[in-house]
Amino acid sequence: MGERSFAEDVKQLGYGAGEILRGEGILAITKALLQSGVSYVGGYPGAPVSYLIDVLADANEPLLKPLGIYFEQSGSEAAAAALLGASINYPMRGAVTWKSVVGTNVASDALSHVASAGVIGGAVVVIGEDYGEGASILQERTHSAALKSSLPLLDPRNSLESFARFVEEGFGLSEACNEPVLVSIRIRACHMRGTLRCRDNVRPAISMLSPLGEPSFSLERINLPPFTYAMEAQKFEKRLPAAQRYIVEHRLNEHHRGDERQLGIIMQGGLWNTTLRGLHVLGLADTRGRTPIPLLVLNAIHPLVPDELLGFLRDKRRVLVVEEGMPNHIEREMKALAHDARLDVEIQGKDVFSPHGEYVPRLVIGGLRRFLTAGDLASRSAAEIDARYRALTAHLENVRSVLPEPVAKRPPSFCTGCPERPVFSAMKILRQREPEIGDTHVSADIGCSTFSTQAPFNVGNSVLGYGMGLASSSAVAPLFGKRTVSVMGDGGFWHNGLTNGVANAMYNRQDSVLVILDNFYAAATGQHHVPSTGTNARREPLQMTIPDALRGLGVKWIRTVNSYRIAEVLGTLREALTTRVPGLKVIIAKNECMLERQRREKPRVRQAIAAGEEVVQPRFGVDPDVCTGDHSCMRLNGCPSLTLRENPDPLREDPIAHVDETCVGCGVCGEVAHAAVLCPSFYEVKVIANPTPWTRVVARVRRAVIGRLAALTA
Amino acid sequence: MSDARLLSVLIPAVGGQGGGVLLEWIVDAALAGGLQVHGTSIPGVAQRTGSTTYYVEVFTAGDGDAEPPTFSLYPVPGALDVLLAPEFLEIGRMIELGFPSPDRTTIIASTHRLYSIHEKITTGRGVYPIENLQAAARAFSKTLYAFDALALAREHGTEANAVLLGALAGSGVLPIRVDTYRDAIQAKGVQVDANLRGFEAGLAVATRLGAGAGEGSPGFGTPLARDPSPAPAPAGPTADPDFERRIAEFPEELRPTLAQAVARLVDYQDRRYAERYLGRLTPFARDPEVARVVARHLAVWMTYEDAIRVAQLKTRPSRFERIRQEKGAQRGEIVVTDFLKPDLDEIYGILPYRLVAPFARWAERRWPHGRPALGQHVKTTTVLGYLRVWLLTLLRPLRPISYRAHAEHARMHRWLAAVARCASWDKALALEIARGAQLVKGYGDVRRRMTAHVDRLLESVMRAAECEAANGGGFEASRELAARYRTLVLQGPDAEARAVALADRVLARLTAADRRGALASLAEA
Repeated sequence: MGERSFAEDVKQLGYGAGEILRGEGILAITKALLQSGVSYVGGYPGAPVSYLIDVLADANEPLLKPLGIYFEQSGSEAAAAALLGASINYPMRGAVTWKSVVGTNVASDALSHVASAGVIGGAVVVIGEDYGEGASILQERTHSAALKSSLPLLDPRNSLESFARFVEEGFGLSEACNEPVLVSIRIRACHMRGTLRCRDNVRPAISMLSPLGEPSFSLERINLPPFTYAMEAQKFEKRLPAAQRYIVEHRLNEHHRGDERQLGIIMQGGLWNTTLRGLHVLGLADTRGRTPIPLLVLNAIHPLVPDELLGFLRDKRRVLVVEEGMPNHIEREMKALAHDARLDVEIQGKDVFSPHGEYVPRLVIGGLRRFLTAGDLASRSAAEIDARYRALTAHLENVRSVLPEPVAKRPPSFCTGCPERPVFSAMKILRQREPEIGDTHVSADIGCSTFSTQAPFNVGNSVLGYGMGLASSSAVAPLFGKRTVSVMGDGGFWHNGLTNGVANAMYNRQDSVLVILDNFYAAATGQHHVPSTGTNARREPLQMTIPDALRGLGVKWIRTVNSYRIAEVLGTLREALTTRVPGLKVIIAKNECMLERQRREKPRVRQAIAAGEEVVQPRFGVDPDVCTGDHSCMRLNGCPSLTLRENPDPLREDPIAHVDETCVGCGVCGEVAHAAVLCPSFYEVKVIANPTPWTRVVARVRRAVIGRLAALTA
Repeated sequence: MSDARLLSVLIPAVGGQGGGVLLEWIVDAALAGGLQVHGTSIPGVAQRTGSTTYYVEVFTAGDGDAEPPTFSLYPVPGALDVLLAPEFLEIGRMIELGFPSPDRTTIIASTHRLYSIHEKITTGRGVYPIENLQAAARAFSKTLYAFDALALAREHGTEANAVLLGALAGSGVLPIRVDTYRDAIQAKGVQVDANLRGFEAGLAVATRLGAGAGEGSPGFGTPLARDPSPAPAPAGPTADPDFERRIAEFPEELRPTLAQAVARLVDYQDRRYAERYLGRLTPFARDPEVARVVARHLAVWMTYEDAIRVAQLKTRPSRFERIRQEKGAQRGEIVVTDFLKPDLDEIYGILPYRLVAPFARWAERRWPHGRPALGQHVKTTTVLGYLRVWLLTLLRPLRPISYRAHAEHARMHRWLAAVARCASWDKALALEIARGAQLVKGYGDVRRRMTAHVDRLLESVMRAAECEAANGGGFEASRELAARYRTLVLQGPDAEARAVALADRVLARLTAADRRGALASLAEA
């Protein structure tokens, strides 16, 4: 399963004390879980932590099972958060993971309940903070969610060693304060490759090999009044103070002294690397991070420890807070503390950086420069700092003179041979050729299918959340005066769409069309299994199908179509949009994700050809003399392998269409040309490698006859 | 403060190019070389065919176990050592972001292009100007290695990433021995032999190019791949003395174009047809510049792609040879299936005008847009399939009296008349009108839409010209309108409406004798 196999990496998860693990941040985190003696692990895949699920799945048989650790890929982040309920009553450690902030939003209900009841076994949530460059979701930070539920939040420095340490500390912290602990890992950090000095894995006391047996009951742990009031009180009288003690005693935050006594920089642990690099290029730190400027690195950003912060602020004139995202909780708390303690210190942060956006070097260096040149440094003059800054940025002024036109954008899109793309070709063709029905409101969903909103399709008027396509059309449909369409991937369907989408639509007798894109996996995150894949993440066989689920909810109008057959998809869409049958009409457009299929097929074909077997591979092409270069096919297709080529005709000027060698022969270019009545330029060619004698004879005869005919008109 | 150097490598790739593997090779090689290293990438859906980046930092102090340096997860603009680009446009993107700097960065780039969807969906030529990218690559690199890594990769049956790894090794920017890179490929265990072949090829190029040599290296500055197949029209009657003589009557610089055109027309119809072409061209011969534009467009237009022409092109033996070559099936066999779907116009278009004219007029009223069409998949490499298409070519003698010929030649006549009229006024205007024929392209609905634009362009520009002529010459507005209208339509369907609106606005102003206003609205368009 999964975009990548971690089978090789998984071997390293078995390493003992002193051995050096080499791999990604994700791998170090998994190793730390095993070193912490977890009894259960789970989560829902989503970039940037989707590979964590892959690693766990690959580690299940060889490592987790033998240790008696339970692993599941949960049905959603809510289910994953609920998994932590095991640690409310029983002294066992557990960890779950998901993409944040969206995953945290889905998980909130269960998470709040666990946070309220409290845990006696260490509970850790590894969240992939999908914020900034490369994020695939709306831009919010998880910090506020942690505050409202009083969940400790760790934001560790970016290195494999540091990730491992803080995951392990997370369990300790969780047990010390009886709260689940969030460990936040940034996008690029998840795939950061480096090394980790390992410790031995720890066999959990409670496991599938040594089960609980005895239930534990205590009213105080039930989320009902009056106990909920007691729980709330505990959070602020016991749990958070306990967390603060643990943070101090285990030195989770780092205080680096320095000669520039009146200055100081406070940063989120996750911004250590960028900040120190910024200081380095401005001449105020070496490559190993030694700097004359006093630093306070907050690897634990909630709860903050007032004494620790005041200790740092004392005797300083100016302090800079490097804090990504809004609200700027840290900066505000610092200012409040300084004010209450009557400290005469100027605290800066968002005013020198930016209220929004990822703290990338360009932004951080600019802010550091403003802060450092404003005051008197002993170690470097403002002029020196400015000079270094200018040296870095001088060349920027010439960019526009060499690149007068902005470089063409390249948004992510559907892969070559993607089975989802043709469905949107069909929708666009319908919109153009039959606007009276086809030009309607389309509620898009989360997943690869979200790309339908981009060029060349621009299909999809709103995107609301994972599996929310149908639900988000509930008010539009009755108020639109035309049948509306909503889209959902199979991942979204099982995650949320089945209940909040289909059940809700049936319950409210909504009359609209739902298109479910069934490509057998949650493809966007890397081909993760979904209930209708046929097996779960542990590779155990399943019998869950989308049509059965729909029928179970009383959906009558269900059509399953081959997503590559555009005419079929088009016809079914037309029928769904025009039929007199009231209520919800569901079209399941089905075909396997081409990435996964090629991953399986390519090696097989290569072997067969090497072995001399006859192999037939379909490919598509364009006749360069028939194509007139109007590119209508590109506007309806958008396949990466359908590209441009210089016009071979000396009398013509515009480039022509061309299908390059990456074509997988899915046939969509021909289907589009047909369905939209474009042009006769496309042909399919079955390339037959190692033809059998019979194939050769037939071909030779055909060529002979055809040759004669051709000679007649030549 | 100790200051052992950190070397940084930024890999701006297109999702699916294997940038991840490239990164892993570099990291593994560095580790094997006893260096402290780290690499990062952006995971997940961001990688699906979109722009994505990978980043590596190598710590040059060879103290593998000592206190680790502070690695950055991001490149620092202006402090980049290597830009390793598997695609040429992405260099431009990185330069826009300020990463490479002329006094520090070595740029190692493949010059091939993967076109972004926005470059593909224009009706004309929407490709980002390669000269800009070349200039930028030169201006923002200390050292430049630029060559077509994809072409090399295909030669050796591998991907560009392996070739670029070889080039990186050859450039010697990182303190890693060449063999250590080879070991990394071995250790990874994916397509080892092919990747090693690619690696050696890249290594050779980099060592050959040496420092500073981007210029002229294989593939540098080829914006679009060329079609390897021979030009479609066979060079026929250049050997024909009569045509030789007729062509010789035209100015020197026109003759090559005319030779091609005549060959094409004879192949398309017959000698009389070619003579008709030359006849139509004669009046323009006085001004070679206008004549060349007319000659090109007229030849293409007169060989419009009706069902007979398509059948002719699809049944050429040379076609199947071209397909074998292009799809790498020289040794194997091929079965070709053609996707043909002539619509009603294209079907009655090849029938005699007198026969189908009434029906055609009715059909055009009955189906204003989207005529019924006859879809079929024809296996043209089988005898029966070939026969079905080939039989169509036998209708060629009927073409001159066909309904389609009637319509097309009427339109060509209007266009030529317009060019001639304008030539008598203003040469530049005549050129713009002549260029208008570039809009004649496509099949079925697309063709109808585009020719409608040609009609509209001719009509509005001619009326604009009349107005300007009436006000005593100076044809800026008409010239500008012709040019703007054409370029807007070539930008794609979204801009077509803007072209129409512009034409109306300009005409309104001109008829109101407000020439300044007309020029203003053209300027802002």
